[in-house]
Amino acid sequence: MSSENPAVVMESVSKWYGEVIGVNDVSLAIDGGVTGVLGPNGAGKSTMFKLLLGRLKPNQGSVRLFGTDPWESTAPFRRVGYVSETEPLYEWMTGLDFVSTMARLHGMTREEATDRAEHVLDFVGLSDVQHKEVGKYSKGMRQRVKIAHALVHDPDLIILDEPLHGCDPLARTSIMSVIRELGNRGKTVIVSSHILEEIERITEQIVILHNGRLLALGNLHAIRGLLDKHPHRILIETESPRELAEAFISREPVYGVRFPDQGFLEIQTSNLSAAHSILPQVIVESGIKVRSVENPDDNLESLLGYLVGGG
Amino acid sequence: MDSQGRGLSESVWTSLDRKAGAVVELTVRQLRNKISTWVVMALGALLMALLLVFYVDAIRDGFESIDNDGDSVDMDRDGYPLGQEMKYGTSDWDGDSFPGSGNYVFEGQIDWNDPDRTITGNRTWEGSAILDATWIDYGYTGGMWSNIIDWQDGDVGQCPDGDAFDDWWPPYASACLQDDGTYVVSGKFKASGELYAPEGYYLTWGYYTEVFYVEPDPAEMYIDEDGIDWDGNSGSQGVDDDGDCLRSGWESNLWYNPDSNRNGIPCDVVWYVDPNTGEVISINADDFVDEDPVDEDYAGESSHRAFVIASGKVAFVLLLGLFLPLFLALGLVRDETERGTLHYLLSKPIHRGEFITYRVLGYLAVVSSYVIALCLLMALITSLIGPGDDLIRFSDFPVWIGIATATILVLAAYGSLFNTIGLVMPKYGVYLCIVIGVWEFAMGFTTIISPSSSVTFLSISHWGLQIVDATVLAAWPDTLQYSQMSNAFGLDTGLEWIWRPPVHTLGTGNAYLSIFTSTAMLSILSLVLISIGSSIFRRKEIM
Amino acid sequence: MSEELDITGGVTRMESAFGSGDGDEDAQATVAQNAEIKGAIFEQTYRPWRGTLGPRWVRNYSIYRHHVYGLFSSKGHRHYPVMVRLTILGIFLFSLSPVAMLFLASMGGNGEFGEVLSRLWGINRYNLWGQVLGFFPRNMCMWPLLTALVVGGMISDDRGNGTSAIYFSRPVTRIDYAAMKFLSSAVVLGFVIVFSYILYYTSAIVFKGEGWAFLIDTFPMFLGGLLAGILLVFTYTSIGLALSSISQSRFFAGVAFLATIYGTKMVAFLIESQFDSSILYIFSPYDVLAHIGQWLLGIESNYDHSLAFSVVSLLLINGSSIALLASRVSSLEVTRE
Repeated sequence: MSSENPAVVMESVSKWYGEVIGVNDVSLAIDGGVTGVLGPNGAGKSTMFKLLLGRLKPNQGSVRLFGTDPWESTAPFRRVGYVSETEPLYEWMTGLDFVSTMARLHGMTREEATDRAEHVLDFVGLSDVQHKEVGKYSKGMRQRVKIAHALVHDPDLIILDEPLHGCDPLARTSIMSVIRELGNRGKTVIVSSHILEEIERITEQIVILHNGRLLALGNLHAIRGLLDKHPHRILIETESPRELAEAFISREPVYGVRFPDQGFLEIQTSNLSAAHSILPQVIVESGIKVRSVENPDDNLESLLGYLVGGG
Repeated sequence: MDSQGRGLSESVWTSLDRKAGAVVELTVRQLRNKISTWVVMALGALLMALLLVFYVDAIRDGFESIDNDGDSVDMDRDGYPLGQEMKYGTSDWDGDSFPGSGNYVFEGQIDWNDPDRTITGNRTWEGSAILDATWIDYGYTGGMWSNIIDWQDGDVGQCPDGDAFDDWWPPYASACLQDDGTYVVSGKFKASGELYAPEGYYLTWGYYTEVFYVEPDPAEMYIDEDGIDWDGNSGSQGVDDDGDCLRSGWESNLWYNPDSNRNGIPCDVVWYVDPNTGEVISINADDFVDEDPVDEDYAGESSHRAFVIASGKVAFVLLLGLFLPLFLALGLVRDETERGTLHYLLSKPIHRGEFITYRVLGYLAVVSSYVIALCLLMALITSLIGPGDDLIRFSDFPVWIGIATATILVLAAYGSLFNTIGLVMPKYGVYLCIVIGVWEFAMGFTTIISPSSSVTFLSISHWGLQIVDATVLAAWPDTLQYSQMSNAFGLDTGLEWIWRPPVHTLGTGNAYLSIFTSTAMLSILSLVLISIGSSIFRRKEIM
Repeated sequence: MSEELDITGGVTRMESAFGSGDGDEDAQATVAQNAEIKGAIFEQTYRPWRGTLGPRWVRNYSIYRHHVYGLFSSKGHRHYPVMVRLTILGIFLFSLSPVAMLFLASMGGNGEFGEVLSRLWGINRYNLWGQVLGFFPRNMCMWPLLTALVVGGMISDDRGNGTSAIYFSRPVTRIDYAAMKFLSSAVVLGFVIVFSYILYYTSAIVFKGEGWAFLIDTFPMFLGGLLAGILLVFTYTSIGLALSSISQSRFFAGVAFLATIYGTKMVAFLIESQFDSSILYIFSPYDVLAHIGQWLLGIESNYDHSLAFSVVSLLLINGSSIALLASRVSSLEVTRE
C-alpha cells in the first residue's frame, strides 16, 4: 500500500446519457478512511461508481483509480473491491463457493482462495452459514456475502453502492460496524446512501451529489456549520404550544416561533446545537407537557434544500 | 502482491492461468446448473440411443441377401421368376405368358412408309389392314384390352359407308365386313389370305411357338447371382455371370443395347482407377452386368459406413452442432448482463476480451466433453457389432474422431457467433439467432444433398459437414469406390447420397487438404467472431 | 377462481378493489394528512363495484386484439419488434410468390413462356399441397420460423415478467386467457399460411379466367388443402404455445419449437434413409401433417406406414400439447417467476 497515487481522482468529469446528465463536472479526490456519498435517488451516485469502475466512459474529464484510467485498463481492479446495488447472485452457489470463486478470478490458487474466503466470511459474520446456498440467504446475509466477495482479495479501495438498502436494523448495524472496521484498518472505503442518518453513523466525511452536481465535500459537521446562516427548525408537539413559545422566545439562539398546526410549535434558530442544549432546560422549567421533539431539518432533503437554495 | 505472501516464482502468467481456469470453471458450473442444459443433452443422448436401436436391429437381422436387380420376383404369380421369364422373353405382368406357354415370335412388318403394302400368308398378324381372307381363326379372340380382335364367331357387322381409313377408322381390336367381302381389321388376329396395309399404317406378323413345359427356377437362383468382378485395375472388366446382358441362349429377342457405356465392348464394366492412389475414380457399367453382388460382402460394409456417416452428419454436426449452441451459447454473457451478475465478474482484474474468450472456452468444455463422450459411445458400440472379421473395427475410430472434431469446431463457430450476436445486439439478437438457426439448418440440409452448391459455402454447417466427408475419404479411401459401385450397379445402400467426395480440396482431390481447409475456415471464423465480440465488448458501456 | 365468480353471464356484480371506469366520479380517496402526525391508520374503504360487466366475449376480444393488432401498431398493443414484423411480412410475401408467377403468366398471354409458367405454378393437387405443406422452402424455412417468432413470447413473456397478473387480476379465467392466446397466435399464423393459400387459389382462377367447370373440378381439392392448412396452423400453434408455456424466455420457446420440428424430421429422415423404415415419421409433426395432407388432396403418399398412424399421432401431438399448455397455464404464478 505504498501508493503514491490517491485511490480515487476525478477531474471535471461529466457523463450524460443522451439528453440526461448523469454526472456533471465533478472533481474530487478520495484517499483513506470512510467516505459517504450522499444524494437522493438519481443524483448520480451509481453513475459515479460505474465511471470509477470502468463500466462507463466519461464524456468529459478524466477518472483515475490509483493513477490509472479504469476504462482503459483493468489493472487497478486488483486493488478495488466493489459491492454493487444489484440484487442477483449465483443462487445455486454456497456462500463459501461464491466468495472463493470470486477470489480465484483475482488469480489466487484454489487453496489460497478458500482460505481467504473463509477468513472474510468470518469477518462479515457469515462463517456459520458459509456452506448454505446463497439462494437461501436473508437480505442482510446477501449484502454481507457481497461485501465478503469484495474484500476477499484484500483491496485497498472498497466501493459499496447502497449496502444498507433494504436491510433490517440488525443487519444494518452489523454491516455498519464492518464498514467502520474497514475504515479503521486504513482502507479507503466509499459508501453511498440516500439516507443521511445511516451515513452519519458510519462516517463524518461526506460527498453530496445532487442532479449530477457535486454539492458539498468534507466533514459533515463542518458542512452543517457552514450552513448555520440558514435558519434551522425544531418541531415540538405539545398541548399548549403558545405557553411554551413564550418560554422559548426570550432565549438565545431562538429568534422566532411559528404554529404550523394545532398542538405544534416550531422554533426557529440559527444555531441548532445551542438550541438543542437549552431545550430540555426550558421545557422542564416551563412545566408544559411535551409529546415529541422533532428535527425536521436533520435529513438529507432539507440539507439539500439549503445547499441548492443557498447556492 | 507480497502482502498476500506469494512467492516471486508466481509470475503474471500463472495467475492469468488461474483466472482463466476460474472463469471456465464458473461457466461450466453455471451451465451445469441450468435445467435446459440437461434437457438438451438428454435429448441428444436419446437421439443416439434411438439410432443405435435401429442399427442394432438392422445388424441382428444380418445383411440378408438382397435381390438388387429385382429379377427374383414373380409379379404375375405364374411360378416363374422375372429372370427366367426374361430369358424366354415372356411377360412377368401377364400370368398367361410364361416360359413354354407358346410365345409370339416376330417375323416381319410393313412399316407406315414402306412402298410395298400387300402381303399374302397364314400368320398371326397385328396392325391395321384390309383383309381378303381364305381362313380366319375365330377361336383366337379377345377385346380392347388385349388388342385381339373379337370376331364374334365370324358374325362381325357391316362397315359404314365410305372409304375405310379415309372417311372412317375402325376402332381398336375390331373388324367389319365390307360389301366386296373383304374385312377392315385393326388389332391382332390369326388368318390366312391377302392383306393390304393402307398408307400411313403398319402391319406386323409372326407366329406362336410350340407349347412345352419348362421347369420353374427357384427364386434364389436370381439372388446374388452376378457379383462384382474386378481385379483392382483400370480398364474393361466385369463378367455378366447370369447372362442377362449377353443373352446368349436366350429365347427372347427383345431389342436392347448391350453396350450402354459405349466403349465398343458389349456387357462389360469400365473401371477408372487413379494410378497414383489405386483408388477408383469412376465406374461405368453396361446394363445388367455385375448388378447383383453378394450382399454379405458388399452391402454390409456400405450400409455400416452409410450409418456412421449419416449419424455423424445429421445427428452430430447438424442437430447437436446447431441446437446445443442455440440453447447454451447465446446467454453466456447476455444472461449475465440481463440478470445483473456481470458486475461481479467485471470488477475483477480480467481484461474484458479475455473474459469473452474464457466464457466461450467454458461453454466449449461442457459441449465438447459431451460430444466426445457420445461419439466414443457410438464408436465403441458400432465398431464392436459392425460387419467384418475383426473383433473391433479399428478403421472406424478415425472417422468418429473426425465427426467429433467437426462437431466441436461447429460448436465453437456457432458458440462464438451466437455469443457475439448476444453482445452486439442484446435486444434483437435473439431473433437474429433464430433466423440464423433456420438458415443454417436449410444450408446444412442442402449441403448433404448437393455439397457443391456454392450458396451453402456461406454457412457454418457446410464446412462442418465437409470435414466429415473429408475424414471419411481419408480414413476409408475405398468409400469412393463403394459409393461409385452403388451408383454404377444401382444398389440401394444410401451411401451414394449421404456421402460425396469433399469439395474444398483446391482441385487436388486430396482428403487431407480438404480437412485442412475446412478446419482452417471454421477455426478462423470462430477466432474472428470472438475477436469481434471482445473488441465490441471492450468498448461497451455497461449500465 | 372461476367457481367463485360467475362471470360467464352477461351482468354480474363483483367485489372489486378498484373500479373499471364508470363510477369513479364520486370516488373517495383517503389522503394522508400532515406527515408530522406520528403515525396514522388510514381507513380502508372498499367500494363494491355495482356496474355492468361487459360480456365475456368483449373481454376476450380485447386480449385477442392486444396480440393481433400489435403486428401493425404497438401503441397499446403487444410489442412485436420491427425485425419480427419485417420477417413476417417477408414470409407472407414469399408465400405469395406463385401468385406473382401466375400474374406473369397471365401477362404473357398465350405465348410459350406464359404456358410454361402457368403449367409450373397453376392449380393442381401437388401445387395446392405444396403451397401449405411443401417441405422446401415452406416448412423448412418459413412456417417454423414464423411460428417460433409469433408464439415464442406468447406465454413465456408473461411468465418471465409476471404480466399474467394483469390478466388474472381481472375477470378473465385462465381458460379464456389460454384460449385467446391460442386464437391470436393461430390467427396470425393462419393469416400468413391459410390466407396466402386462399389467395393463391383465387388468383389462379381469376388470372386464367377459368370457368365454373374448372371451379367445380378443383374446389374439393381446394377444400382438402384448406383443411390441411388449418390443421397445420392448429398443430404448430399448440406445440408452440405448449413450449412457450413451459419456458420463461421467448428465445428458449422459439428455439425449442425449431428443434422439435427439425429434430424429429431429421431423425426420421436419417432412420428412413438408413434402415428403410418410415415409421419414425409419426413423431415428426411436419410429416404427420404432410401425410394427412396427401390423403386430403388425393396425392399418392410417400410414406410407407398407414395413414391411421399419422392420424393417431396428430391427435396425440395436439392432445398432449394442449394438456401441457392447460396444466402450465392453470399453475401459472401471478408473480414474476
